[in-house]
Amino acid sequence: MSVAEKTDAYILAAERVSKSFGEVAVLFSVSFELRKGEVHALIGENGAGKSTLMKILSGLHTATSGTIKLDGEEIVLPPYGQSESLGIVLIHQELNLAEQMTVEENIFLGREDTSKGFLNRKTMIAKVQEYLDILGLDISPNDRIRDLSIAQKQMVEIVKAMSRDARVLIMDEPTAVLTEAETELFFKQVERLKQSGVAIIFSSHKLSEVKKIADRVTIMRDGQWIATKKTEDLTLDAMAQLMVGRELSKLYPPKNEVDVDAEIVLEVKNLNADSIDNISFKLKKGEILGFSGLVGSGRTAVFEAICGLLRIESGEVYLNGKPSQFTSVAQARDAGLVYLTKDRKENGLLLTQKMQPNLTLLALPKFVKNMTIDKRAEKIAMARGVRRFDIRARDPNVIVGDMSGGNQQKLLLAKIMESNPKIVIIDEPTRGIDVGTKQQIYNFIAALAADGMSVVVISSEMPEIIGICHRVAVMYRGKITGVLNGTEINESEIVRYAAGLREIQQNG
Amino acid sequence: MKLLKLLSVLALGTAIALPSTAMAAEKIKIGVSYPTPTHAWAAGMNWHAEQAEIRLEALYPDIDLILVNSSNPSDQASAIEDLVSVNKIDALVILPIESEPLTQPVANVKKSGVLITVVDRGLSRTGIEDIYVAGNNPELGIISAKYMMSRLSSGDNIVILRGIPTTIDNERFDAFMAEIEGSGINVLDQKHANWNRDDGFEVMQDFLSRFPDIDAVWAQDDDIAIGVVAALKQAGRDGDGMFVVGGAGMKETIKGIIDGNTLVPIDVLYPPSMIATAMDVTVAAFKSNGPVAGRYILGATLITQENAASFYFPDSPF
Amino acid sequence: MVEDNVNVAESRAVHKWLRKFDLKTMGPAIALIILCIIGYSLNTAFLSDGNITNLLTRSAFIGIIAVGATFVITAGGIDLSVGSMAAVISGLMIMIMNNALETFGTGITTVLIGCGCSIILGVGAGWVNGFLTTKGKIEAFIVTLGTMGIYRSLVTYFADGGTLSLDFDLRDTYGPIYYGSFLGLPIPVWVFIAVSILGWILLNRTLFGRYCTAIGSNESVAKYSAINVDRIKTYTYIIQGLCVAMATIIYVPRLGSASASTGVLWELEAIAAVIIGGTVLKGGYGRIVGTILGALILTTIGNILNFTDLISNYLNGTMQGLIIIVAVWLQRADWKKGSNK
Repeated sequence: MSVAEKTDAYILAAERVSKSFGEVAVLFSVSFELRKGEVHALIGENGAGKSTLMKILSGLHTATSGTIKLDGEEIVLPPYGQSESLGIVLIHQELNLAEQMTVEENIFLGREDTSKGFLNRKTMIAKVQEYLDILGLDISPNDRIRDLSIAQKQMVEIVKAMSRDARVLIMDEPTAVLTEAETELFFKQVERLKQSGVAIIFSSHKLSEVKKIADRVTIMRDGQWIATKKTEDLTLDAMAQLMVGRELSKLYPPKNEVDVDAEIVLEVKNLNADSIDNISFKLKKGEILGFSGLVGSGRTAVFEAICGLLRIESGEVYLNGKPSQFTSVAQARDAGLVYLTKDRKENGLLLTQKMQPNLTLLALPKFVKNMTIDKRAEKIAMARGVRRFDIRARDPNVIVGDMSGGNQQKLLLAKIMESNPKIVIIDEPTRGIDVGTKQQIYNFIAALAADGMSVVVISSEMPEIIGICHRVAVMYRGKITGVLNGTEINESEIVRYAAGLREIQQNG
Repeated sequence: MKLLKLLSVLALGTAIALPSTAMAAEKIKIGVSYPTPTHAWAAGMNWHAEQAEIRLEALYPDIDLILVNSSNPSDQASAIEDLVSVNKIDALVILPIESEPLTQPVANVKKSGVLITVVDRGLSRTGIEDIYVAGNNPELGIISAKYMMSRLSSGDNIVILRGIPTTIDNERFDAFMAEIEGSGINVLDQKHANWNRDDGFEVMQDFLSRFPDIDAVWAQDDDIAIGVVAALKQAGRDGDGMFVVGGAGMKETIKGIIDGNTLVPIDVLYPPSMIATAMDVTVAAFKSNGPVAGRYILGATLITQENAASFYFPDSPF
Repeated sequence: MVEDNVNVAESRAVHKWLRKFDLKTMGPAIALIILCIIGYSLNTAFLSDGNITNLLTRSAFIGIIAVGATFVITAGGIDLSVGSMAAVISGLMIMIMNNALETFGTGITTVLIGCGCSIILGVGAGWVNGFLTTKGKIEAFIVTLGTMGIYRSLVTYFADGGTLSLDFDLRDTYGPIYYGSFLGLPIPVWVFIAVSILGWILLNRTLFGRYCTAIGSNESVAKYSAINVDRIKTYTYIIQGLCVAMATIIYVPRLGSASASTGVLWELEAIAAVIIGGTVLKGGYGRIVGTILGALILTTIGNILNFTDLISNYLNGTMQGLIIIVAVWLQRADWKKGSNK
């Protein structure tokens, strides 16, 4: 790729930038160009250096070497987000909004329109309304951020960027937490922004989305630039292969059929709780049972109720044939039933602590010897967990919050497995992690089932449900509308049940 | 026991609350406002005020005394406003928690034609009060200093433990220092012990570590003196003619003086009963045929073994 | 570029040096040593046996209470009621002992009854705080602000606004708990040492301590990790109450009295000791050793101020405030250069 050609067409460019933190180099002589009015996707596994490159392009990080050009001119971007004044806006993966304030207050935060020291609320509200209308958003400037969905919050960030007259919009995994419908809406906004001449860089793990929306794609691996290509020249497989650097012929491991006579380890009959309605299903030993459905259809609530996190109103739960209603997570754990949360930052891991206390937290009573915690046993467990789940940390004393999403997810899996469960419920097993790690996690799940463990996988990503599950239960508005087997497990069938278009009257 | 008492207080409270609205209008109403009893001296004052209320109301059936206590200046300002607007008082007896913030509120009460008696702490503007009743802070310092000089000679060493940094403390301290000037008595150091036993104990411990030769301690206050005595006993330095001078007139201290305690042989009076004196004078303003308005300064009497019995109130909490 | 590399190398060397002397953990110890040097240079009597003993004994009250506060704060709570709690327990203990006197005489039995009641009261008061914060779902700040006022006014009420005094004959039996010593160290110091060691083991070596840290870091993660959050939080308040009771047991024999001014502002001193020691105020990280050093620092400041007349009495508060802020600043400031993100 020749950097010199058609420089004038590039609005923002990085030339041979490198970056190291202390002694650790994370970016090696990467070049990148952004054309006016293009949507440019940045893909790569976790730790490939996408976030670092984005931060350098927005001035949040300074490159250790190399140059940045804006409109063809060499420039040193000002730090601390001041490059917003140059029209470069970065939207973080963790949204930066004041939860208790309104949409309008957030959008004008730090540059409020005032006269004589008083806020011109009416003017500001009118302006925000104007932007919201342009993007076709159904929220009011007076809504409080805490009352909005994640997708809406993302839109607010985009409005904020627009109101700052952004010419370059950089988004780190904007769709990671969005549902499919929300993603659709989000892409519409992106299309409109592009039409108005804004150049957009975004990173994503969802390659199909990249294929759909991006004009060009830059692939990175291990801190190095691998390729920049037009999207139409790349297939999904090609993208994945470039990212991982190896053949990814099989993302999903082969399915081992469940023994027909396998005992039933979990049976739920007519379970009712807040937002779930008359749920019944069975789980066999060694089975991977998928739970599909739209976000908010009650999938998570079913298992929170079973695991003692949500109060059961009525119904029965049998574990290995014994009636078992758990009122605490500890009871469920002791009975061999554990739940791996979909929200690893809020409910899964202590982000301010190191790996070891996180790993052993769920199974901690197991590590008690003479009334105190056996630190040696903990250390052995840590080494085992790292080996078994291939957790790659720069330093064993790293703070968990500083680890990549993929490694966090592996740590969370290791944590859950420390309690030696018989049944594992994994909610969104691969949310926000890269293809390579995804494949590993699918292999772990398959291996667990092959070892005789029963696994429930709750997921919004249909391909993975189809790819790894023996059976799939589909939910719609708090009810199980269908349980699919064998060849029935395909996208169109699942969608029909998930949209409530079809329902099978099942009797346990 | 305490619970019973609490219940009876509650019952009494409701019993009083009901008829108070329909109280006969011809009674002479006198509001009495003073700080919430959160330390022993104030508790003593509260006790004396309650005693005086019972005694005066029994003596004069047409006198109604209303006792109110407040925990800070702004509460006190609201309390006296309520006394005027709700209770329609004819006279106000007030011990201001602080002078400055209460001057204007009291002046407002005065404007509505109420007789004003100020106790202990003067207002920051003169001419508002009709009657002023107070202990004598400089006098307390002077009497203490005179006693020290009568027992010590030139070259002897003393340490001083002061109260909470306030005007009262400064008046006592300055008068004391002025009085001993030229006597040759060395003041090794002076620290604030906040009229508090624990602080008295700790400050005295440190003085004892620091100064090998101390002949006497001016603790200024009986609570501080209790801490000082404990520290002296702990260090085994309570013999050799060492003595401690406190102040105020706590019943335990006075009992000790009666019993001939040599470590705390005297006390200097700063009587919490001054509130009762003020109430008597205020009632007299309505009942006496002689002139009553004016300033009543109570002497800071030196309490010795001879006169101690007349200052001993075993039932008072102080 | 070359110069840059030199700078980088230099800053790396500094970085390594700083890492060795990790100010975040060594800070309180260094601050205490500096204070001692200042104290000694002002007056050599500062390091005399008598003064060191006084200092340690005095630290015991705040120190023992602060060990309890370390658990509460590590688990993300706060207890503002400890000072008032100490006052009301002292008061009740004195009343109980004065009453028990008639039946059990002035012997050790009466004192033991008093101590037993003190522990029961402490545990009870802690449980009330814990119950209201967990089951009542009220913020700890509000609950303990409420109980702070209640306990303070109760002691005032029990004492009729004045002072509750322990019977003089009992003081001779009970006195040695404060004034006596064992192997050259006063009893309160032994109690302080025992509470500290138990506290350290509990926080750093047991399930309970780990759970406190987890809850303080993220309550939700703790809940999903099979931790009974409410129970553990309640236990932290009970431990706090127990520590207050222990402190009270060694406080009462000192002056044999309790009044409304007993234990005023102890809660703030205890919290200050905990924070100076490096525990994080919003929870998730606690250090018992730091807390102990924090308590020693606070008492030493007061002691040094009594040892000098260089500073106006009126500025005592200023000196204490400055030293607290500097001590915490030493730990918090980003000393590790080059780790800027």
